[in-house]
Amino acid sequence: MQYFIQLIISGLAIGAIYGLIAMGFAVIYKSTGLVNFAQGEMTMITAYIAWTISTTVSGNVFVVALGAILAAVMLGLVIERVVMRPMLGEPVFAIVMVTIGLAVILRSSINFIWDAYPHGLDVGFGRTIVRIGTIGVRTGQIAVIVTLLALLAAIWAFFRYSKIGVAMRAVAADDRTALLMGISATRVHALAWAASSVIAGIGGVFFALSYDLSPAMFQLGLKAFPATILGGLDAVLGSGLGGLLIGITENLAGGYVGSGMKEVAGFAMIIVVLMIRPFGIFGERDIERV
Amino acid sequence: MRTGDFKQTYGELVTLVDSPPVWLWSALLVAGLIAAPFVLNSYALSFLMIIMITVVGALGLNILTGYTGLISLGHVGFLVTGAYAYAVLVSKYQMHPLVGFLGAGVVPALASLIVGAPSLRLKGLYLAITTLAFSFIINTVILEARWLTNGARGISVQRPEIFGLSFEGDAAFTYLCLGFAVFTLFATLNIRRSRVGRAFVAIRDNDTAARVMGINLHAYKLFAFVTSAFITGLSGALYGIYLSFVSVEGFPFLLSIEALAILIVGGLGSALGAVLGTILIVLLPEATRLVFSLFSAQMDAMFTTGAQELKSMLYGLVIIMFLRFQPRGLVGAWHDIRRIWVNWPLRY
Repeated sequence: MQYFIQLIISGLAIGAIYGLIAMGFAVIYKSTGLVNFAQGEMTMITAYIAWTISTTVSGNVFVVALGAILAAVMLGLVIERVVMRPMLGEPVFAIVMVTIGLAVILRSSINFIWDAYPHGLDVGFGRTIVRIGTIGVRTGQIAVIVTLLALLAAIWAFFRYSKIGVAMRAVAADDRTALLMGISATRVHALAWAASSVIAGIGGVFFALSYDLSPAMFQLGLKAFPATILGGLDAVLGSGLGGLLIGITENLAGGYVGSGMKEVAGFAMIIVVLMIRPFGIFGERDIERV
Repeated sequence: MRTGDFKQTYGELVTLVDSPPVWLWSALLVAGLIAAPFVLNSYALSFLMIIMITVVGALGLNILTGYTGLISLGHVGFLVTGAYAYAVLVSKYQMHPLVGFLGAGVVPALASLIVGAPSLRLKGLYLAITTLAFSFIINTVILEARWLTNGARGISVQRPEIFGLSFEGDAAFTYLCLGFAVFTLFATLNIRRSRVGRAFVAIRDNDTAARVMGINLHAYKLFAFVTSAFITGLSGALYGIYLSFVSVEGFPFLLSIEALAILIVGGLGSALGAVLGTILIVLLPEATRLVFSLFSAQMDAMFTTGAQELKSMLYGLVIIMFLRFQPRGLVGAWHDIRRIWVNWPLRY
């Protein structure tokens, strides 16, 4: 029983990271109708920048967090402006292939700029183990679950009540009508890329906090993929919850079936989900774009 | 006077080449390739082999993505299945290499039925995601099935000997790869002009219209999957023999991206495009290295330390640049040049 609870809790912790990255996927899909295959790489770059700040500037939690968020915003805005905006109006396949090209570039630039060895991100917090009853949990693991829940609430309120959030929903629903109503679609796209980059970046930093930083981190993007499909590509909140589900499934499969199963449990799950409900648990039915 | 290449009869639509001199050029090219192993050193010859092997795989993916319009991000899965099928049959069970090659085609084709059948309901991005998932699952299956595949240790493969002909030497193996490439090229060109190929293109262009015209979407999509996987598997077997060692690490996920890059750079849906794209993508890192080394020794040093990274950065950059500035690929550029050449100084 204790083993089971331990698996669930560490599953929730890794699932929260998947959930954050999956929300990054969903934010971009919701406002631009694209799947950003470079999400994992953007996550990784933000984590590496956070690590660079912590080793060169200051190891203070707030300095690192602020620096990482600013860097993620810049990354998202630059990618949208330089790479994605010129492709507006092209077929979806072409734009998605562009994000794949971007992913390849970002991934290799990690090895080129930094190095191929694992590093620990140390901000004086995250690795201490807290005991709840008989179960040990790292503070970083608790923090990421709390952050995910807080972000879910914040994003729900943002889309529901804020003017920009409503504008984003409008562009997602029908960009031409939104344009006619005086909403700047390019600004919404830029905002979506920046927001997605930040949300996914937070996931990356937390991963680096609780585990380690390495060039293999881009696989987080692939792991978060099933989460987005499960929750629904256009459902931001659903993707966050999908992440938790995938995290738990993966850990249970890894714990009870075998470590090989852990790697593919998520993928096996999306194949099943795509067969039964291609639009995900929380997605809207009519999202066939391509 | 030629005024363009308008097709006036159905016969002209389905000819293999649209002008007779193409036969001459092709014959000269093949003759040149046959002479190549006598002229080239072994370094250049290895590029020739890689190009031949990659052409086979690119043509295979072209059937699925180029002709039928089904995007696959999991073709490395078929590649690795083909390589393992050959390695297991020939190295482990000492079968005849021809049986090995047959297996290298048939096993991925069967695997493609498993991934293809449930994917029939899916289109575009969702299909891309399922195939992506398939390629990861197949890797795990191979690693777990240790009794058959030796797990992570891999299987070493000898170059084949078929009916007393040894393909041990580099030149002989190049001929084998050339044979496969030419055969695949003919096969896919003929598929394209047959009833089946035209059905594929109809599905790509508008599946609803194709359905209305009586094309069985499920059957043809599955057929595209099977043919594509068969050819890709052969390419995988050749690649395994070239590496002389088959392991999961030898077939990284990047190969799937590389294959799509080849098609985009060459021009989607064109056999000529697949060949041109392969040549460009395979030679690109080498060409860049040569250009950079002309400039300075320091640049050259950077290439030797970060070669792998710069190589994949170039892939990414080339994919983005082509999609942005020349979405029809090299074939599109070639058609533009030909049109200008024929019509100049008129615009059309």
